[in-house]
Amino acid sequence: MGTVYKHELKSAWKSLLVWSICVGGMGFACILLFSGVKESMGGLADSFASMGAFSEAFGMTQLSIATLPGFFASEVGTVHALGGAMFAAVLSTMMLSKEEDGHTGEFLFSLPLARGKIVLAKGGAVVTLVLLFNLVCVGLYLFGIVILGEEMPMKEFFLFQGMQVVLHLEVAAVCYGISAFQKRNKFGIGLGIVLLLYAYDLLARVVPDLEKGQWLSPFSYSNAADILSTGKVKAGAVVFGVAVLAGGFCIAYERYTKRDLAT
Amino acid sequence: MKSLGRFRKGEEMEKVIEISNLTKHYGKHRGVSEVSFCVEQGDIFGFLGPNGAGKSTTIRSMLGLIKYDSGSIWMFGKDSRTQQEAILREVGYMPSEAMFYPQKKVKDIIKMAADIRKRDCGEEAGMLCERLQMDTEKQIGELSLGNRKKVSIVCAMQHKPRLFIFDEPTSGLDPLMQTEFFALIREYVKAGATCMLSTHVLSEVKQYCNRVAIMREGKLQCVDEVANITKTSAKRIRIIRDGKREDFLYEGNLNELYKELMGRDIADILIEEPSLDEIFMHFYKEGEV
Repeated sequence: MGTVYKHELKSAWKSLLVWSICVGGMGFACILLFSGVKESMGGLADSFASMGAFSEAFGMTQLSIATLPGFFASEVGTVHALGGAMFAAVLSTMMLSKEEDGHTGEFLFSLPLARGKIVLAKGGAVVTLVLLFNLVCVGLYLFGIVILGEEMPMKEFFLFQGMQVVLHLEVAAVCYGISAFQKRNKFGIGLGIVLLLYAYDLLARVVPDLEKGQWLSPFSYSNAADILSTGKVKAGAVVFGVAVLAGGFCIAYERYTKRDLAT
Repeated sequence: MKSLGRFRKGEEMEKVIEISNLTKHYGKHRGVSEVSFCVEQGDIFGFLGPNGAGKSTTIRSMLGLIKYDSGSIWMFGKDSRTQQEAILREVGYMPSEAMFYPQKKVKDIIKMAADIRKRDCGEEAGMLCERLQMDTEKQIGELSLGNRKKVSIVCAMQHKPRLFIFDEPTSGLDPLMQTEFFALIREYVKAGATCMLSTHVLSEVKQYCNRVAIMREGKLQCVDEVANITKTSAKRIRIIRDGKREDFLYEGNLNELYKELMGRDIADILIEEPSLDEIFMHFYKEGEV
């Protein structure tokens, strides 16, 4: 089991490096840019806050873009949430299906390792890679904040990053479940799910009829503006998210241990 | 189809594979139906059949890659449904495609297979790589089919399993390597292993296998010793009669054939034993002979 886990980590490390450096690097650059744009943000902040539904959707009614938490929430928070969710989706949508897509299943599954253990090892690798992605990004953001020397509410910052981990793991689990049904790599499905959930969250923030169902999207409980302004998370949505997370991995296990493998 | 019991030194040989009434359908499509046969310890067992006959379905069911609908598969006295992992510990499998992770090096793949088996197979793997003339520093993505087959052979043999299952092992291998491959099999079988070989190459079966099963359209047509199968009552008849050249397999009373030929203008006649190829084709083609 450990061999498969290590094999998956080794196979994905380049992808992890590219995604985490790109997303984390962008966030790092954005944070450093803040000192340069801070002065000019004063006027923009009022404009951003008075754009009605647009401001609501992006949380600009709660935080001022002229402050580091507001700037971080509007620029870095969104990129990190979407970038991380896309990384998790691409990674986990292909995690199981790639064995059949690449015709390597006959090699791996004829070795003495129960299919359930392989599902667990690969699932463990997904979780580790998502955690490492977030760790690298958080490291870069903190580095940027230290260099910048601006004040950032750290409790809220870490709560936000914690919720980002849950968001990324939830997306990963859903896509891992989907991967167990696929015989070909279809990472487009994963990316589609991420964009759909993100769009749904934006809509639910501005369309009153959808407001009650906002918790369906994991972007609802991990919104940077919400967390950085209140220091709280929507507990119900988190519980639902964790249930989906567990469900995704359970479905993957159940399906993959029972179905016929294609060659 | 009943297999012949085999005895050595007065003892019944251990059954390494016991398949009873194996049935597998892919939705509405046929996979295999009511397949039963045994492979005994020390056998080099040929598994013959045209494409779509059900050979791969049988092998994949044995390895647990697919779940069969009914019947049973016992290997080393263990139920394949419940003790798959324990069974696979004793098996060395070489798939027909021999596909690995293209970004990995040959040595990484060989080590990965050994690590999953929790075995240190370095010495045996080294010997196999040397005999198969394999460069272990190369990346899998750079290898030809033949070289990937060699990697597959090492992965299947390095842990000295009790049972080898090979699916079309020699396709892509040059004649020199084919000879080396069969020499290795003979050595391992001599040391107590058993081998099941799915192939289209009849000469391999004739030269290396002691027993053979023939599949057609998902059903087992025959299981027997290769020597017994070739000892059929069917005869190959080559005849020139009434100015026409005829060539056919005849199974039955030769007196009836003689009566049939009486009064005809026979220019030439040759009656001979059919080759293994012909017997094989006989089982493949419906309603012939």
